[in-house]
Amino acid sequence: MSLSKISPDDPKLTAYALGELAGEERTAFEAALREDVAAQAAVEAIRAMAARLEFALAAEPMVPPAPAAKELLAAGPYAKKARLLKFPQLYYLAGGLAAACFAVIVALNPASHRVREARYQEVSLIGAANEKKRAEVEADLAKDTAAMPLEPPASASVAGAAGVEQARKRDVRDKVESGLKERQRIDAQGGAVVKMQLSSRAMASWSPGVHKDEAGSAGFLKEAAAPAPTTVPNTEAYAYRRDNDFLRAAENPLSTFSIDVDTASYSNVRRFLDGGLVPPPDAVRVEELVNYFPYHYAPPAGGVPFAASMEVADAPWAPTHRLVRIGLKGREVTTSQRPVANLVFLLDVSGSMNEPNKLPLVKESMRLLVSKLRPDDRVAIVVYAGASGLALPSTPVARSHEILAALDELSPGGSTNGAMGLHLAYDIAKANFVAGGVNRVILCTDGDFNVGVTNDGELIRLVTEKAKSGVFLTALGFGMGNYKDATLEQLADKGNGNYGYIDTRREAEKLLVEQVNGTLVTIAKDVKLQVEFNPAQVASYRLIGYENRMLNKEDFNNDKIDAGEIGAGHTVTALYEVVPVGAEGEGQAESRVGAVDELRYRIAGAGNRKTQAGDERENASRGSAELLTLKVRYKEPSAEVSRKLEFPLVDAKRGFAEASADFKFAAAVAEFGMILRDSPHKGAGTMKDVIAWAEAGINSDVGGYRGEFISLARRVDLIVQ
Amino acid sequence: MSTELPTPRAQTHENTGFLERIFAEQQAPLTRYTARLLGDHDRARDVVQDAFVKLMAQPRAEVEGHVVEWLFTVCRNGALDVLRKEHRMRRFEEGEMERAAGAEDRPGRTLEAAETQASVLRLIDRLPPNQQEVVRLKFQNGFSYKEIAGITALSVTNVGFLIHTAVTRLRREFGAERT
Repeated sequence: MSLSKISPDDPKLTAYALGELAGEERTAFEAALREDVAAQAAVEAIRAMAARLEFALAAEPMVPPAPAAKELLAAGPYAKKARLLKFPQLYYLAGGLAAACFAVIVALNPASHRVREARYQEVSLIGAANEKKRAEVEADLAKDTAAMPLEPPASASVAGAAGVEQARKRDVRDKVESGLKERQRIDAQGGAVVKMQLSSRAMASWSPGVHKDEAGSAGFLKEAAAPAPTTVPNTEAYAYRRDNDFLRAAENPLSTFSIDVDTASYSNVRRFLDGGLVPPPDAVRVEELVNYFPYHYAPPAGGVPFAASMEVADAPWAPTHRLVRIGLKGREVTTSQRPVANLVFLLDVSGSMNEPNKLPLVKESMRLLVSKLRPDDRVAIVVYAGASGLALPSTPVARSHEILAALDELSPGGSTNGAMGLHLAYDIAKANFVAGGVNRVILCTDGDFNVGVTNDGELIRLVTEKAKSGVFLTALGFGMGNYKDATLEQLADKGNGNYGYIDTRREAEKLLVEQVNGTLVTIAKDVKLQVEFNPAQVASYRLIGYENRMLNKEDFNNDKIDAGEIGAGHTVTALYEVVPVGAEGEGQAESRVGAVDELRYRIAGAGNRKTQAGDERENASRGSAELLTLKVRYKEPSAEVSRKLEFPLVDAKRGFAEASADFKFAAAVAEFGMILRDSPHKGAGTMKDVIAWAEAGINSDVGGYRGEFISLARRVDLIVQ
Repeated sequence: MSTELPTPRAQTHENTGFLERIFAEQQAPLTRYTARLLGDHDRARDVVQDAFVKLMAQPRAEVEGHVVEWLFTVCRNGALDVLRKEHRMRRFEEGEMERAAGAEDRPGRTLEAAETQASVLRLIDRLPPNQQEVVRLKFQNGFSYKEIAGITALSVTNVGFLIHTAVTRLRREFGAERT
């Protein structure tokens, strides 16, 4: 397309504004659009009109179901001949079967540890069938098969993703089946035990139809998984995660991942434990547990947005291993220093939010946040249920009484059309965009998007698209029962955002009062870490947590690859467990790695045709006492080009006892997570050790978070016993 | 590898749980859409009911991933059949809209928003019927151009043209009302 003016009559104008153009057509149109101010204005006007249309049309009356049918829906026993039924009977059937389907009994026998295991196995495998995580699992698996062929020959010999995927599906189904058999066995043996989580979802991931076309059925799965209003609340969704394995430094000297400042997993785990339940393993994300706590890393000096501080000592759960802590500390920003904020609260007021720990807590949290804003900040409120709407146009905080009154008026009802709400919220944020300011949509929901775009993939594409506008996203999860953790984490991840879980007023205070500037002000985006291990010092290594943040080594220098954001004053911590060269148990770790055979065909000498400079560098690394080099790439919040920082680390051979308090505490939290996940790498540590290490690391416990962790660990100790 | 197949009954449960959900979610939007095509609630209910009965008879693989689109298509075809049978192809007659039906809970809107909304609805009602239909499918039901093309048996280009024309007119008229 030439760069001539775009005609106002060109349907592409509307198609582009509505996100309907793709690929080359889109690229070409965008190029033309940059030259054409009139067309840019038209695009904005079309989007505004679209938001008005969505809003107005969503409010058009629905036709209520016929009254007779309603009654039948309320109380119908089981009916069989589905296909012959006419209309009222359809309700009858659906209601009755649903009741049967969800008549699920809960296991109360705490002694039955095996049952818990079986149940969690099911849940995690069900998670694995989830579409978007499937890609990760696949990538994970592809990596596995490439690097360390542990898979049976059948799958290892099949090249390409299809083979791998098939193997995975077989694997998943086998495991689900064995999980089911295990459960049946237990059912047959004891009386008190019955199933918990295995509702429709397990059936779905189990049925052959699903395995025929897993991708196509993901929508089905999700929809089957979400609850009907009257069912038992056991429909929480957690994506399957597999712990990172040890990798040999000689073959994989580079470890690359995106930072993650989310903390939701910790409050969610706490919510389970407070209820006397052990959380499902996939609800436990070790890096989010570790990152929940503030650490006392040195703040940055000079113009850089953050500083790195690294420490290495014995890994307390495996004393021959070393534990490396990488800590990043973001620049602090005070309320008066930070730029003016343009916030849009996007609040879920659907029926599922009608619980004391949901909408009322949302309102309370937003009131807290408003109290921490400056008078020149602006707040708009968008609500979404069956209909989405603007509950409050963008209003300066100087008129906070109007904001608070609008919050008070909200009441729950209707189903959830999150996608429409997201569109509207981003449009309002864009309409009031403050250049150089804090432009952010704050989404408060239980994550249960059940009307409109319910396919997670589409929601995530929507958010990815909207993130390009420079509006950031904060996702706050509330409540329990049908909490969709995986959806929210992905949204925050793709929407240039952060993600927290709020279960109490105290948690709201932590995120929205104490750390308000960290939550609101992003000081660097697309922050990626790449650690280069020195094979002369390191036999193998393992990144603890961050399983769904792993990047390819090439991604590090590719500015198009999205990564995590860091907020003002935030600390980010990553832990590596390292097996040093010559360590006792090195072989043992290697057997877990799945060592690759020595290569038969190698050119003598350095083993390759590198330049002389390369040889010298290699020799230098062999002689180097450095354990590793940390490389950090980041972008300034509004920049498109990244910068790089490098920090080398030498192992001072310190024992765990000599380590800093922060180090001990982080190690305790990591082991706590690994025990809860029943990770294969949890080593020799017990919950009692966790408590002891955490107590050694309690230091000055501002806010009492570390003390709370210790009492949580004690509770686990009790529950597990 | 032993493959233990689920019992037929288990599958029925599974499908029914899903059906029940789809039904709860989509019954009202489908009826709203169909009633607009037919200008009549009762017939719309029958058409939607038939669509769900057809869905139950449908092998899952046939509809997976696009159930909602499928339902809208079936309802549209059903409505057109009704109109054909009754020898009336008039659609979208003014004054036959479902104004009487109860509105669902809409929290916390301001008066201004309510006025905007009423005037936008008035403007939509003045559009030609084919434009109204695609506008509703796009902005009320959230379908993409491609999905709308599938439902209405128009080409994607055609859908794009209709929506562009409608939105352009709505923008102009909405702007004129405001000044």
